[in-house]
Amino acid sequence: MPGGGAEIDGGVGIEQPRDLRDVRRLSHEAMATVYEVYTVHADAEYAAQAAQATFDLVDRLERELSRFLPNSDITRINHLAAGESTRVTPSTLECLVIARHMFDLTGGAFDVSIGTGLPTLELDTEDFVVCATTRGVRVDLGGIGKGYAVDLMAELLEEWGVHTSLVHGGFSSVVALEPPPGHDGWPLTLSDPSASSRVLTRLSVCQTALGASGLRKGDHIVDPRTYDPVRGRRAAWVAVPRPTESARDGSSEQQHRAAPAAVTDALTTACMLLSLDEIETLCANSPGLKAWVLEDTQLVHFPALG
Amino acid sequence: MAADDDKGNAKGQAAPSQTKKLGRRDVLKGLSTVPALGLFGYAWKKQTEYQQSRVEEVAASTQAPADLQVINVALLGAGAQGQVLTDSMLRIPGLRFRAVCDIWTEYNQKRVVNSLKRFKHEPNAYEDYREMLDKEKELDAVIIATPDFWHAPHTIDCLKAGKHVYCEKEMSTTLEGARSMVAAQRETGKLLQIGHQRRSNPRYLHCYNKILQEAKMLGRIVTVYGQWNRGVTPDLGAPDRYLIPDARLKQYGFKDMHQFRNWRWYRGKGGGPIVDLGSHQIDIYGWFLGATPSHVMASGGNLYYDPKTHEWYDTVMAVYDYDTPLGAAKAYYSTQTTNGSQGYFENFMGDQGTLLISESEVNYAGQLYRDPNAPAWDEWVQKGYVSAPKEQETKAKSESGAIADVRESVAPDQHTVPVTLRDPYHQPHLQNFFDAVRGKAKLNCPAEEAYQTAVAVLKVNEAIDAKTPLAFKPDDFKA
Amino acid sequence: MEETNLSRSAMIAITVLRVVVGWHFLFEGIAKLTSSSWSAAGYMRASRGPFAAFFRWIASNSQILDNANLITMYGLTIVGVLLMVGLFTRLASIGGIAFILLFYLCNPPFVGYFYSIPTEGTYLIVNKNLVELCALAVILLTRSGLFAGLDRIVHGLFFGRTRVATPLRV
Repeated sequence: MPGGGAEIDGGVGIEQPRDLRDVRRLSHEAMATVYEVYTVHADAEYAAQAAQATFDLVDRLERELSRFLPNSDITRINHLAAGESTRVTPSTLECLVIARHMFDLTGGAFDVSIGTGLPTLELDTEDFVVCATTRGVRVDLGGIGKGYAVDLMAELLEEWGVHTSLVHGGFSSVVALEPPPGHDGWPLTLSDPSASSRVLTRLSVCQTALGASGLRKGDHIVDPRTYDPVRGRRAAWVAVPRPTESARDGSSEQQHRAAPAAVTDALTTACMLLSLDEIETLCANSPGLKAWVLEDTQLVHFPALG
Repeated sequence: MAADDDKGNAKGQAAPSQTKKLGRRDVLKGLSTVPALGLFGYAWKKQTEYQQSRVEEVAASTQAPADLQVINVALLGAGAQGQVLTDSMLRIPGLRFRAVCDIWTEYNQKRVVNSLKRFKHEPNAYEDYREMLDKEKELDAVIIATPDFWHAPHTIDCLKAGKHVYCEKEMSTTLEGARSMVAAQRETGKLLQIGHQRRSNPRYLHCYNKILQEAKMLGRIVTVYGQWNRGVTPDLGAPDRYLIPDARLKQYGFKDMHQFRNWRWYRGKGGGPIVDLGSHQIDIYGWFLGATPSHVMASGGNLYYDPKTHEWYDTVMAVYDYDTPLGAAKAYYSTQTTNGSQGYFENFMGDQGTLLISESEVNYAGQLYRDPNAPAWDEWVQKGYVSAPKEQETKAKSESGAIADVRESVAPDQHTVPVTLRDPYHQPHLQNFFDAVRGKAKLNCPAEEAYQTAVAVLKVNEAIDAKTPLAFKPDDFKA
Repeated sequence: MEETNLSRSAMIAITVLRVVVGWHFLFEGIAKLTSSSWSAAGYMRASRGPFAAFFRWIASNSQILDNANLITMYGLTIVGVLLMVGLFTRLASIGGIAFILLFYLCNPPFVGYFYSIPTEGTYLIVNKNLVELCALAVILLTRSGLFAGLDRIVHGLFFGRTRVATPLRV
């Protein structure tokens, strides 16, 4: 599949050293994966209610974004005739805008329409209307939807005042908020996706969005720009710092920073296809962005610049 | 040379035009294929005209016609259901949101007002609905999505203020409340639609009109089975920083924040899962069977949740008796909130066929099975009422070609309902309401009809307490 | 020039073939001309086979790509018109053969090559491009335009009767 691949948990895990005992873990199945909230909070019931609110939010997003539901926004877009338009929810439109931005940023390596013509969709951000100028565009937000959901879940947890938490969707999109007491950050591990016991590196993250993309042994993905199968690259991870709350309200210029997990979701998919030089350029142009790629057995690290 | 083709001038006579370089035949033959160009041009023109008309047709269907009467709308109740209805209404052309009223001014009310502002509406925000009815001079319709125990006062006041009303189900927590809503509707002559949105769902309408009424494909429906199963969920909470002050809660009939958020589980505020969930499906029972029930017996209990915060039954099983036009029928309904196995659906079982349907476009979107002894459904397949049957493997043939193995029955053919809804689930019902406001349609669920469902549904909790089958009198269903 | 010894019905059949192939070329050409954003780039980038590098190079070089697109769009249209009316049939046939050869070589259905563009039907070496190419060869060699096409008039006007396809009868 161009631009995608058989993804497992992308080789991200959370370490559970003995003093993470107070961490409550709540799970919910949606979008064909498991979403989880890890949290430390004095009132366990309150934290569970907050987590449930985020799970209801994920369910709502699934109803809008899933291409498997016949009456979702995305399915409706995929069935538009040439010249036909449809109104969508602000979330759907925001996702499409981010997807389009990532398409431009990665030179087409990240393409939610998998070569069927994403640029031919007109996105009206004033009216929340999507217009298809040609037939045949097929959008699949799988490569960005989980990250977007996790972003909104994190914001909702902050609204509830449950700051000491970590949210993830299938461990391929992770947002870490405030770390558990006594830690500088949430302890995460990056492992070889086909040999998850083999830990490649350990991270301590807080106020960070992390995306992961990985392939099982024998799977291939195809570059949508050249139709060549990609060889050697087995996993990619991207991390960006989460903007502070004030930066996230209303600033529409730096759109990609308002949804950091959606952005990392897209960038990891792209990083499976970009060359090492291209990734280096990407990191140079995006302050605070960190990346790792697994080439066969070697982990290549791109530290944050600027 | 004679200007002719190979077989042409077989006699080989010298024609008078022998010396001409270009004879008439030459010109004719030469031009013979040029008309093909003309044919191409014609075909191309037709093709582009067709495509152009398709594009225009499509564009026209999504634009509001210029003379569409704008309806001024207020939302009364901006909670979870109010937000769902708003999402659908934002997709319906010709609506102007004038007001949003909700007592949770810090949270839900603000969220919905801001969300409407993004779509270029400028609604005024209210906490008290009477103030809203006083101050809003240009209001045509009110959408009510407040807790059940508020439905009657809200609806009656809005109708009396001259507004058309779309009110969420269940009509009320009491029969008196429901009855008074119907009375107010009759008195004022305004429209009152109750939110049983399946009544406008294209798949359900197709099943009712085509499959049941016209084709009678199920024959005589003798039994019905329906359920709504949900897994365990924590109680609804609220963000610490947005709690409502106690005084305001009490002013509007809530004893505390927990009751405000979980009113469905409290007596006098809601009716529990059988009303929240069952009401939808029991409404379909009556609609499809074409009858009101004669008896109901039910068993229920608070098997799992804390009875201090869950006053109503978390598990309910009910059996209705119906005298349908074709004969007696029994319908089973169960709902539980401890396990989500198989989700929600209704199964109508007739002597000639089975219809398994739910509101979901994904699970149980409409499957039909023909009883092997029933007459063939070929005519209905041809008319497009149902899809062609999916091929079933016949186990009847054994490899040696011997007589069919009578121990295994042939799996019945599965047909699907060939209707897909591409809009959010509540949109068709709201569209029907607004069409009726504009005088272009009749309500699919007017209050008088919804009252019959309210009677059938509210009786279940009573039957659980009574521990004995309860009878309905036909007059019970007349508001 | 030799005369061809084909029967009248054979020549009629070949004329029909010529018109039909011409229609196809004309349609392909006009469809590309009227579509807002057609480019051969996608097809060429997906090229497999012995000439893949060449086609991908064209696709990546925007100057050359633009020219290639123009030549293709107008070329197909012109070949189509010429074939349909039977004017300059030989030239048109040769042009058509050249186009098809390029399309064929860009994505030949040779055994063992991964074909990334889904095609209708399954082909082994022979696909519909090759069939059309052979049809053009037949049209070329039988000089169908001279039998029933504008070429007949052109020849009549400029060259007399010496090269018309007729059986010699004395």
